[in-house]
Amino acid sequence: MHGLPQAEPTNATIRPGAAARRSPGWRISRRVRIGLASLIGTFALWWLLTDITGVIGPHRFPAPAEFWAAFVQIAIDGYAGGTLITQAWYSTRLVIMGFLVAIATGVPLGLLMGVSHRAEALLNPAFLLVRPIPPLAWIPLAIVWLGLGDAAKILVIWFAAFVPSVINTWTGVRGVDRTLIAAARVHGAGELRLLWEVIIPGSLPMMFTGLRLSLQASWTTLVAAELVGAFFGLGRVLDAAYRDINPPMIAVAMLAVGVLGALTTRLVAVAERRLIPWRS
Amino acid sequence: MKDIRFDNVTKSFPTRSGTPFVAIRDVSLAVAEREFVAVVGPSGSGKTTLMRMAAGLDHPSEGSVRVGGREVTAPGPDRAVVFQQFALFPWKTVRENIAFGLRCKGVPRARQDEIVAHYLKLMSMEGTEDRFPHQLSGGMQQRVAIARSYAIEPDVLLMDEPFGALDAQTRTVMQEELVRLTRKEPRTVLFITHAVDEAVYLADRVVVLARDPGRLREIIDIRPTREAEDWDSRPIDQVMDLASFTHLRTQVWRLLRDQIRPDD
Ligand SMILES: Nc1ncnc2c1ncn2[C@@H]1O[C@H](COP(=O)(O)OP(=O)(O)OP(=O)(O)O)[C@@H](O)[C@H]1O
Ligand SMILES: [Mg+2]
Repeated sequence: MHGLPQAEPTNATIRPGAAARRSPGWRISRRVRIGLASLIGTFALWWLLTDITGVIGPHRFPAPAEFWAAFVQIAIDGYAGGTLITQAWYSTRLVIMGFLVAIATGVPLGLLMGVSHRAEALLNPAFLLVRPIPPLAWIPLAIVWLGLGDAAKILVIWFAAFVPSVINTWTGVRGVDRTLIAAARVHGAGELRLLWEVIIPGSLPMMFTGLRLSLQASWTTLVAAELVGAFFGLGRVLDAAYRDINPPMIAVAMLAVGVLGALTTRLVAVAERRLIPWRS
Repeated sequence: MKDIRFDNVTKSFPTRSGTPFVAIRDVSLAVAEREFVAVVGPSGSGKTTLMRMAAGLDHPSEGSVRVGGREVTAPGPDRAVVFQQFALFPWKTVRENIAFGLRCKGVPRARQDEIVAHYLKLMSMEGTEDRFPHQLSGGMQQRVAIARSYAIEPDVLLMDEPFGALDAQTRTVMQEELVRLTRKEPRTVLFITHAVDEAVYLADRVVVLARDPGRLREIIDIRPTREAEDWDSRPIDQVMDLASFTHLRTQVWRLLRDQIRPDD
């Protein structure tokens, strides 16, 4: 026997995840490197165009030093009624609330429309009518109804984020492989099990596409609503900085919205990876 | 156990042009209790359609399909289907896929585990129970699909080219296994295949379909020969070398070949 290489059992050589665990680690480090390079490049370009060559004048877009000063000002002393943290938290909280309300209503409605032809026939006409209205067009009505406070913001976010959740969930349900539904039926699955174990998991990928679009819509709409009228929030900071003709502060608020949007999108991506472990 | 009866079944599908497309015309076929019937026929002769009607996934346009004397209206766990495209649940592991029908039946957890372990062993797939279908080869996926259907011990097994994706070796093992299983615990089986060898080796009777439209061409009785020569107690390669086997195979093959036209 000695001298012959022992073949390992197959289940040990291709244990699931063993290979998968290595490659993303390698990919992330590569991605981090490229990401860093891109950030440094952008910063260098910014510096070059403002401080070094003066191609972009200080009235149009701030140089790095001005930006930093504005950042320190809002971070420590506050601006437009609050520090950066309070303003950012204020906006994020509204986005999360609006988003949750939207998906808590949109996903079930999408499921219902996907599963039941009667529900689809009933709801689709109303949907077709409401859908083309840009979410931002609801802002005036929301303010008239509910004033400048949180309730109006949540309502507008709900209008904006609801539609992508419904549409994508609905499309996801419609796209579930018919053979899988047949397979569940012929092995004895009842309606509830079919929904829970086949239709919902089968439409999860599309549902998450919807959630990402909903989240994006939530941020867009919230900032717009805060620009139109608000007591706090990053949109309020943007509006105040615009009135003060303060480009550095505008840039800080914009970047804050960008960073928060990216972070919340990341949360959705993490949830997606957790809930859809079967996708390679 | 239950029998399957197709009585003057015609199945047509609506088309865009308005004139319905006839997939199956006037097929009458009875599969007796515990009988193993194989269906062969060229692609498009309506084999899958026939099986879907027995499963309750499609309904005849004319005529009737009855299982155990009752008109088939909907799918039920008395008729398990092994699909041509496996149809494993991608979000369930091998274990969960095999146990699916058992959970639907309310089989206790401990018993489920026993049954799953039994079939994993039978299909020589031990150690794969926690993998997802996409981590399996095509042949392994197919074995899981077969195990999922066997596990619920249905009265009627409907199998649509279940060994199509297997390599020759695994295929032979599975064929022998199916013979062993169905002779030990006979079930009513409707087995669809492209492979003439397989049909003759496995079945009590082989049904040959013709196409355009799909219809019954001939039914060949295998069982008397098989019992007379005791195929079941011999290994598959030996059976396939017997003169009686090659004779039957040629007979089926001729019926199929006759319909292959120049444009095929
Ligand atoms: N849902 C459908 N709508 C329209 N036509 C269909 C439908 N299902 C099947 N057909 C047609 O009916 C005929 C028979 O199809 P079927 O799938 O039963 O063939 P098959 O014998 O299983 O073929 P294969 O060996 O390729 O699997 C084909 O011509 C096919 O195009
Ligand atoms: Mg077919």
